[in-house]
Amino acid sequence: MKAELFIAARQLWHRKMLNSISVLGVMLGVLMLIAITGIMRGMQTRFLGTILEVSPHIVVYDQTLAVPRTVVDTLLGGVSVTHVSRQASSDRQQQIARPRETLAAIRTLDGVTAVAPLVVGSAVMSVGSKELPVEMRGIDPMVQDIVTPLRGWIVRGSLTDLNAAGDGVMVGQQLADLLGVTIGDNVTCASARGVPVSMRVVVLFSSGITALDKGRVYVAARLAQTILGRGDAIDRIEIRLANPDDAPAVTARLEALFGYDGESWQTTNASMLSVFVQQNLITGLMIGAVLMVGGFGILSIQIMIVVEKRRDIALLKSVGYSSRNVLTIFLVEGIVVAIIGAILGSIGGHFLLLGMRQIKTVSGMGFNKPSTFAIYEAPIVYVLAFVFSISVGLLASFFPAWRASRVEPVDVLRGS
Amino acid sequence: MRVEGSPALEARQLVRDLGDEVKTRILHGIDLTVAAGEFVSLTGPSGSGKSTLLYLLGALDRPTSGDVFVDGIATAKLPTAERDTLRGERLGFVFQFHFLLPEFTAVENVMIPLLHRRNVRQADAHAQALAVLATLEMHEFANRRPNQLSGGQQQRVSIARAIVHRPKILFADEPTGNLDSKAGLAVMEIFEKFVRDDAMTIVMVTHEPSYAARAQREVKLLDGKIAEIVVPTHKAA
Ligand SMILES: Nc1ncnc2c1ncn2[C@@H]1O[C@H](COP(=O)(O)OP(=O)(O)O)[C@@H](O)[C@H]1O
Ligand SMILES: [Mg+2]
Repeated sequence: MKAELFIAARQLWHRKMLNSISVLGVMLGVLMLIAITGIMRGMQTRFLGTILEVSPHIVVYDQTLAVPRTVVDTLLGGVSVTHVSRQASSDRQQQIARPRETLAAIRTLDGVTAVAPLVVGSAVMSVGSKELPVEMRGIDPMVQDIVTPLRGWIVRGSLTDLNAAGDGVMVGQQLADLLGVTIGDNVTCASARGVPVSMRVVVLFSSGITALDKGRVYVAARLAQTILGRGDAIDRIEIRLANPDDAPAVTARLEALFGYDGESWQTTNASMLSVFVQQNLITGLMIGAVLMVGGFGILSIQIMIVVEKRRDIALLKSVGYSSRNVLTIFLVEGIVVAIIGAILGSIGGHFLLLGMRQIKTVSGMGFNKPSTFAIYEAPIVYVLAFVFSISVGLLASFFPAWRASRVEPVDVLRGS
Repeated sequence: MRVEGSPALEARQLVRDLGDEVKTRILHGIDLTVAAGEFVSLTGPSGSGKSTLLYLLGALDRPTSGDVFVDGIATAKLPTAERDTLRGERLGFVFQFHFLLPEFTAVENVMIPLLHRRNVRQADAHAQALAVLATLEMHEFANRRPNQLSGGQQQRVSIARAIVHRPKILFADEPTGNLDSKAGLAVMEIFEKFVRDDAMTIVMVTHEPSYAARAQREVKLLDGKIAEIVVPTHKAA
């Protein structure tokens, strides 16, 4: 092996201009792989992280219940198709029966961390002559905070205030600004079916999601039942699991046990997850194409070199080098080119990602807090870059190397 | 793996046909025996089949029929890998063109036949190559690239490469063909020294009658057959 390495290294060095072209091809492929994976995965990871943070892992609905849009649907502008089937007319509304028992039963299931009952409905919030439509959520604040953390959003006040005050309401900062109210001020809430109630603003929040900050209010479940005219009933149960990946399995068990329609976060976000799959497919194809171009670079340059080196190959064979020795020399050359390309591409890719982390993104896609690019960078990406590059180098140099190994010394000698 | 009592080299009824569509018989049943330590020259007009015969004797090519025995080992049907090994261990080649690898220095070129063997350290190979270059009065050029050497120097490096692994038999195909007479004469003296001091067996193709006459036997080829074998008068004595 040392002879092959020695010869391969020297031949590569001797033809450094030509071989740098091959190196460049692989380098660009690796750079693309790292940069595109970094951006795509970064975006996807941030999105998933946000979803898992702000949405429940499972929502249990009454089968024919009319359901307001979830946080994520709002966030994504309603790409979810599964949602439409649930937009049943509100006069067929039913509620979850025996909520207390159902909640207790769900709480005992394996993998369930927290179970929160919700009363959800539309209301109008008014202060003086100002009126704004709101999405009202009647919650058990402490439990809800575990299922869909609220604490982190709070700008002023605390969840305890919401819990303690019988007439407290948690309002988005932007909504409060629109209504011209702040902590301690009174607001009135009314809906078509229930009783108007005067409440006190006890918590201001800012989620970073405009739709919520302008349109959602949280009150204690009891209060929501009164305002919305729901009596004792709840119309939704949100569940948090120890492991979000278990959501589909737990949902299936819930449906079997209680007969209510459950929905895992994966189902809620199915369309987005499938968009991710498509994105990954497209980026995979792009990266593959660029790596393939790099491979063709190696292939064509190696074919050229092998033709040029026929005499040298004949000589090596006449002094006892076997076909395998010759094959190894040219395979090593391909692999070395690929490894150098992968190293340079990895270094370049790393700095590219570093640079991109500095770029401030404009608010968009429902976020109103400015942030930097979400970048995904993990050792596995670099490992994959090397694995792919070396495979490409090996594959691309195989044909030229094989041709080289087939050179018959006498053919060359007779020709000269 | 030497068959006792066998000659260094023996060709039996060697036939070689060449050509892709139309086969032409180049060699018509050559019988030749070369004793160990013998210096044989191979002469004949251009196209008479000298090179073809030399490649067969040196196990670089396979005969259409007949066989070549190297140290008693039949080579015609030997698997390719074993032929490669046989060449690498027992045979050496010098051609009209030096075939030095341009990327390597003189000493590195000489090391190359040693390097692919197992259990050979680079440093040892280097030392051995330098020693061989020194015997050919070439060691001051050891670190030059082939393109920095004269034709005679290049050929000496290629001779050093051919003998660095101490082959039993050295095959040379018009080794002086590209050299001026002074450099050509130097090569002849080197070959004679190999035979005299190292008991090397040499088979040399040449066009030059005076060089051919310096061998112990001159095998004259004509149209793919041995026309006659001449023992120069001064050697016969
Ligand atoms: N590949 C080949 N196909 C057909 N004929 C060939 C081939 N190579 C050489 N020959 C012929 O074989 C004959 C012997 O060639 P060669 O052994 O090189 O002769 P020499 O070395 O004596 O000049 C020549 O007539 C040559 O034309
Ligand atoms: Mg010839």
